[in-house]
Amino acid sequence: MTARSVTTPAVRPAAWELTDASAVDAEPAEGTVDYVLLRVTGLVLSVLVLGHFAVTHFVTDVAHDDSAFVARRLTSTLWVAWDATMLGAALAHAALGLRIGIADYATGWRRRVLQRGVLVFAAALFVLGALAIGRIAYA
Amino acid sequence: MNIPQVVFLCGLALVLTAVAAFTTIIVRSASRGGVGVLGGRTDYARGGRAAFLAHRLTGFGIFAFLSLHILDVAAYSVSKRVYDDVQPIYGSPALRVFECALLFAILFHTGNGLRLLAVDLARLSPSATSFLLRLVVAVVGVAGTAGSVLILAPLFG
Repeated sequence: MTARSVTTPAVRPAAWELTDASAVDAEPAEGTVDYVLLRVTGLVLSVLVLGHFAVTHFVTDVAHDDSAFVARRLTSTLWVAWDATMLGAALAHAALGLRIGIADYATGWRRRVLQRGVLVFAAALFVLGALAIGRIAYA
Repeated sequence: MNIPQVVFLCGLALVLTAVAAFTTIIVRSASRGGVGVLGGRTDYARGGRAAFLAHRLTGFGIFAFLSLHILDVAAYSVSKRVYDDVQPIYGSPALRVFECALLFAILFHTGNGLRLLAVDLARLSPSATSFLLRLVVAVVGVAGTAGSVLILAPLFG
């Protein structure tokens, strides 16, 4: 598969307009690992994020999600594992998704800088989030 | 209103600005190509295009909010008190409305993502793909409305 050309024809079939056959026959390009990771993290997040939202908004109203609530919840190893997995999966999913999106809207050095910037930003957020989980659970 | 809350609201303003900017980029990019932003030759193509754009937009928006949310939870690392200063904002009327929008965005991104997974793994036909999209939109509408009622209920006693 060649990279997206800068000079696109007036009507270019997009990925979602291609027929099944052409989509399936396409060579798995260098992004295969990214693609699988994006789907796997997405599948994991479909359970973890909806569960997280339900617990913090429906089971307990947001008005009661204070530090005592968070500290109590994170005394459970299940919730520590839940939150840590969700943090890592969400940031990996976001970095991978944005990587693909950026490739559609930017070329050359802009693309590289933006993609690396996103990776560094996501890594920094992961460190902050992991520290917070650790501190709440074990402090 | 205390200082941590002001900082949080500035962050939220930044999130909303980023979403608006990204929407502009997406719409401008999509308007090139000759078929219009939400155009297409068939229902299948139009639906797929709309879902594709909505998936990008909700994905970006969720990540933008997640960045802020990780920081407000990380405030706990600094001090429990800072966390408890910021947290009550989530219960305010404006933030509850925001949370409803967030719920709709998460539900659509999840539903459409699972649809793409099903389409890829089962190699579904265009008509099955279109049917799944309509199903996702219906489920998001019902679940999002039900969730929004629960989120907004405390505002009405």
